[in-house]
Amino acid sequence: MPKLIIDNIPVEVADGVTVLEAAQSVDIPIPHFCWHPALGKAGACRVCAVKMVDGPVKGIQMSCMLPAQDGMVVSTTDPEAVAMRRNVIEWLMINHPHDCPVCDEGGECQLQDYTIAGGHGIRRYSGTKRTHINQDLGPYIEHEMNRCIQCYRCVRFYQEYAGGTDFGVMGSAGRVYYGRFEDGQLESPFSGNLVDICPTGVFTDKTARFKARYWDYDMAPSVCPGCSLGCNTTPVARYRELLKMTARRNEAVNGWFICDRSRFANDAVNDPQRPRTPLIDGREASRDEALEALLLRIAQIEELYGSGSIAVVGSSRLALEGAALLPRLAECCSAGALCYFTSQEESDRTLPLIELLSSGKPASQRDVRESDCIVVCGCDPLQKAPMLALAVRQAWRNGAAVYVVPFGSAQGTEGVQKSTILQMNRWLSGVEASQEPKRLYDAISVHSLDAVPLADAKQPVLICSATNAPDRLAETLEQQSNLKLAVIFPAANSYVAAQLAGAHGAVSLEHAVATGKIKGIIAVEADIPPQLLEGIPFVAALDWRMTETVQAAQIVLPTTAWVEMDGTCINNEGRAQRFKKVMNPGVPVRGLDPAGHPPHIHRTIPPGGEPQPAWQTVAALIEGLCGEQITEPLSGKWERLQELAAESEGVMINDL
Amino acid sequence: MITTELKNELQTRIASAITNREAAVDVMKAFQAHYGWLTDEAVVEAAGLLGLSPLQVEELATFYEMIYRRPVGQQVIHVCDSISCWAMGGETLLGHLSGVLGIKPGETTPDGLFTLLPCCCLGNCGEAPTLMIGDTICGRVTVENASKIVTPLLF
Repeated sequence: MPKLIIDNIPVEVADGVTVLEAAQSVDIPIPHFCWHPALGKAGACRVCAVKMVDGPVKGIQMSCMLPAQDGMVVSTTDPEAVAMRRNVIEWLMINHPHDCPVCDEGGECQLQDYTIAGGHGIRRYSGTKRTHINQDLGPYIEHEMNRCIQCYRCVRFYQEYAGGTDFGVMGSAGRVYYGRFEDGQLESPFSGNLVDICPTGVFTDKTARFKARYWDYDMAPSVCPGCSLGCNTTPVARYRELLKMTARRNEAVNGWFICDRSRFANDAVNDPQRPRTPLIDGREASRDEALEALLLRIAQIEELYGSGSIAVVGSSRLALEGAALLPRLAECCSAGALCYFTSQEESDRTLPLIELLSSGKPASQRDVRESDCIVVCGCDPLQKAPMLALAVRQAWRNGAAVYVVPFGSAQGTEGVQKSTILQMNRWLSGVEASQEPKRLYDAISVHSLDAVPLADAKQPVLICSATNAPDRLAETLEQQSNLKLAVIFPAANSYVAAQLAGAHGAVSLEHAVATGKIKGIIAVEADIPPQLLEGIPFVAALDWRMTETVQAAQIVLPTTAWVEMDGTCINNEGRAQRFKKVMNPGVPVRGLDPAGHPPHIHRTIPPGGEPQPAWQTVAALIEGLCGEQITEPLSGKWERLQELAAESEGVMINDL
Repeated sequence: MITTELKNELQTRIASAITNREAAVDVMKAFQAHYGWLTDEAVVEAAGLLGLSPLQVEELATFYEMIYRRPVGQQVIHVCDSISCWAMGGETLLGHLSGVLGIKPGETTPDGLFTLLPCCCLGNCGEAPTLMIGDTICGRVTVENASKIVTPLLF
């Protein structure tokens, strides 16, 4: 544990920690471009210079390259160090365009910040600038090589961290060029992270370019609803349009990165077809009218068909707040069935796994990254939960053995070998890999779980999918006490759904409908297959997506998307995470018909701003039915989650 | 397309290397000798042989200055412009050759015979200034003997 002094502050850090990190640990900022917490050092930018005043090393040193040692006395403010940093910034700026006002990165650019902070304001260089020809990197990422300061972050992420082989660094010296062999879409399913890690504007999000400036962004800490991993994000919105998604650091979960599926999936929120206005039999109505009508229909159904003829249906994408109120709603309308799953099979598969996870040891993405032995059991992490595959790659890079056990629907080696390859971008836009698919990690294929030398492993992790979990899972976990389990569930809130389904004796909708008693369905953000709705006289849908269920419903009450509300989700490990409201619901200003301007309707909320979070509509129904007012959806078991901070690692619900 | 014979030879060479990447420079040079320069097609073919992506071959190809990613003349003259040669008159030498050949550094003579390239250190500092023509290193090159080296090849 070296002890050193930085700017007169004594610091003690762990072995191997750099002077730069040691300074950060006591809130002394040192400028840096090439160093990145997830990528380590490259010593390429020279901007983290500090003066070593005393100790084993003397003089100007690069703080990112220097491990902290006992007796070091470091000054970040020494005139020599300050001058060095100013000079470095000046020559990094020699070839950089002086056009921040017309650059999409302007305002959120590390180079811009450090140039100003470093005191380089007047250009002295009068020569010509080195220029490059940009490449077309596909529909998601814009390339502007003239802005490059050669920090090597992009290539270190792309090739080393994420295993991509179609993007790299070419040339040498002043001709260094970061790009592809030829124009074309980046193949890695993690390519969007280039936008986040580039310290300047070489890579920008093409889907959001020139739509807003950083200081005008609506931003809040959020959680990706794309799969069950619950990766942390910061969505960016402006004028009621979700512009882009950026990664948010959570060391326990996604680390610093997110996958492209999470990043480039804003269309659903901005979709002009989204249900925005309550509907009664296809007629637009106010929210109160629709609530009134729904209460009336519930009463009518009960009268006509008797008590127990309503099914209250949640889903595995519904946030905890809404899902937790459904049992009460079911009580209030004397429902015959409370359902969190439509399919019996999904319910049967998910519930036992949740039980296993809550009694056993769930593996976080961090556990996977730090594991020394990973067993991927009959599933394809890259397809179902891409960041999990990236986590496996990090473990593999650190020397972990990765075993693949093919069985069930992934029978045969063919299906499983695919689990390790970078093909995911294909579903984004149908791009074909230009070459043999490259593996994210090398895996040893074994025929069964017994063939994996688990007993020798220190921190083994078993990865399986809820749709195809191995049979003797409980037994294996019991035998191998240090084995942790990562289950890939079908949706973001499968854990919530299964947890509540188990606690409240919910049945699957399939099962409930089969009894023939169900005559009315209240679907709360539930995707119900049309065949289950056949012969059901009444359907009400609360949703923010234009689903088949919404189209089939007589009464529609629009809800807010996750970025338009505060809420809680529980990921595949049972980690509760809070997401905050990023933007007000409403029709994006972009795309509105200019002919309709100015609007001649007096209103206090923006057009399309009527949707309310699902739980509030459920609470309003409960109030209408039983007179009970609910202002706080998280009560009882969930009460402690009320205080959950969005900018934390989350809370394991087993600990509640 | 390269010949099957060359392909087999290269495959043997790659197989004997500890890692494929290690054999990349040899393979690129062989392709270069075959095509005259490392064509786009050659990069893709080399990548195929080496089990690398074309980009990964391109990364190496563009790093090394003696791998030519553009067409060059039959003889490539590399004139060192690093510090020792510069101090011993390398700049004058490059200027002289430029005049004799009638091309600027980086260009190829219209007859396709010569390409003149400045290059970084050839590892012959003791014999500065140095140039390399084809695979032959020439040290202590003066303006006079530079003409003697190049002129016989000119006619």
